[in-house]
Order: sequence, then C-alpha cells, then structure tokens
Amino acid sequence: MNTGGRKFSMSFRLSGALLIIGLCIEAISLFWIHPLAFLAFFVIGGTFLAAGVLLFLYSIVFQHTPSSSDDSSAS
Amino acid sequence: MPGPLAILFVLLGTTIVLLVVIIARASLTATPAGKILAFLAFCALPILCGFWGLNEHLERSKQTAFCLSCHIMEPYGRSLYAGDPMYIPAAHFENHRIPADEACYTCHTDYAMYGTIRVKLHGLRHIYVQYFGTPMQPIHLYDPYNNRECLHCHAGARSFENDTHMALLDQIKANQLSCVSSGCHDTIHNATSIDKVKIWRPQE
Repeated sequence: MNTGGRKFSMSFRLSGALLIIGLCIEAISLFWIHPLAFLAFFVIGGTFLAAGVLLFLYSIVFQHTPSSSDDSSAS
Repeated sequence: MPGPLAILFVLLGTTIVLLVVIIARASLTATPAGKILAFLAFCALPILCGFWGLNEHLERSKQTAFCLSCHIMEPYGRSLYAGDPMYIPAAHFENHRIPADEACYTCHTDYAMYGTIRVKLHGLRHIYVQYFGTPMQPIHLYDPYNNRECLHCHAGARSFENDTHMALLDQIKANQLSCVSSGCHDTIHNATSIDKVKIWRPQE
C-alpha cells in the first residue's frame, strides 16, 4: 500500500480545489467595481490562492510523487 | 485587440481547466513535462493571476465610480455636477480639466514619492472605517489639502502664471498659504449644502 502516494494525491487535490475556489472568487470579484469586491478578492480569494500554492509546494517537497494509480478515474 | 481584462479572464479560465485536468489525471505529473505543467497550473499561473487581479483591482480603485459606490460619498459625487462654476471640483470635472473617470483620484492622490502607496493605505483605512467602524460626520481629509496636488497640473500653466499667483508662489509652494482654504478658491465640495445648488445635467 502506497500511503505516501495517497497522501500526496489527497493534498494535491485539496491544493487544486483551493486554487480553483480562489480563482473563481477572483473572477467573480472582477465583475464588480466596489470596495467589497476588492476585499473579497484580497482577503478571501487571496487566502485560498495562498493556501493552495503553499499546500502544493509543501506536497511536492515533503511527500511522495504520484504514480499512474493515483488517477481519480482509477481510485 | 482584446483588453487586459479579457486576457486575464482567459488566463483564469485556462488555469482552472488545467487544474481540473491535472486533478482528474494525476498520473500526468509522472513525466517531466507533466511536472512542469503541474508547476505552471498549481503555482506559476495562480500567482500570475493573483498579481494581475490585484493590479486590476488597484487600477479600478482609481475610478470615480469606485469612490462613489459608498453611500457616504453620494453628495460628493453630486457636487461634481454643481452648476455653479465657483465649485472647484465641478469646474474641473465638468470641463474635463481632469479625467472624468478618475476625477476623485486625480485631485486626492498624493503626488509625492511613495504617494500612491500612502493613498492606497488611506483607501484601506476608508474601507475599514466604512464597514467595521464609524465614519466621521461630516467626513473630512486626514491631513490638510496639500497645494502640491494643485501645482502638479497648474504649475507652469499660462492661466496660473498671473501676477497674484507669481507674487505668492513661494508661500503657495511651502503650503503657508492654502489654495483651497485661504479665501481664494474655497468653494470645494460643500456636500452638506449641495442640494441647494443647481445641478448640471450633461447632454448625451
């Protein structure tokens, strides 16, 4: 059982999910010219983006790299 | 040619699609090319999108519509359309002496070194006070209006170089004599009484 690979895969997906949420918040905030749009982008979107990037960097430095068995279609 | 905002949206969409593809097919990252792709999708592109988005938001914060989107600024926005030419902001805005879409920023920015950063920090303070504190009533500037902001455009202008201005130039430059509060050009926004003034309606 490759627990390192599974752990990597989990943090990899979590990192991707955080980034997708952050990017969606950024895209939505750009439709609105208002101080709250800036706050949403900077505070909420920025937090998700930073968390996603940091989690990705953490997972490639400290965890196992994925193999072909890590595909979501295969799990 | 698409504008920077359209390119940013394309970049955001592309990054999201790449992320979804790599999450669904993690085995793509087993190859060196896949690792580079993952680095782009999970690190380089989101950081690029983040900084580009931040720049876009900072540029938008210069817009007149941005400043006037807060309820407390409504009378100041109306004062830009005052029919009385003695109203200094209205005279500048209505005659396009300043860019109409960046009217507030043009006069209320700080033209000193690092002034833009100082103004952005003031902007963050405005947001904090608006949503988490109690705005002062009536609102006023944190510091007295600096003549430097007027002289940024007017210094050297033919209309400015009259006998009165030239005689007082040293005092004006040193802020010993304020352009707006020394009795010379002192009809500014007058937001509390703007409802009593005839409002100019631009013809389309």
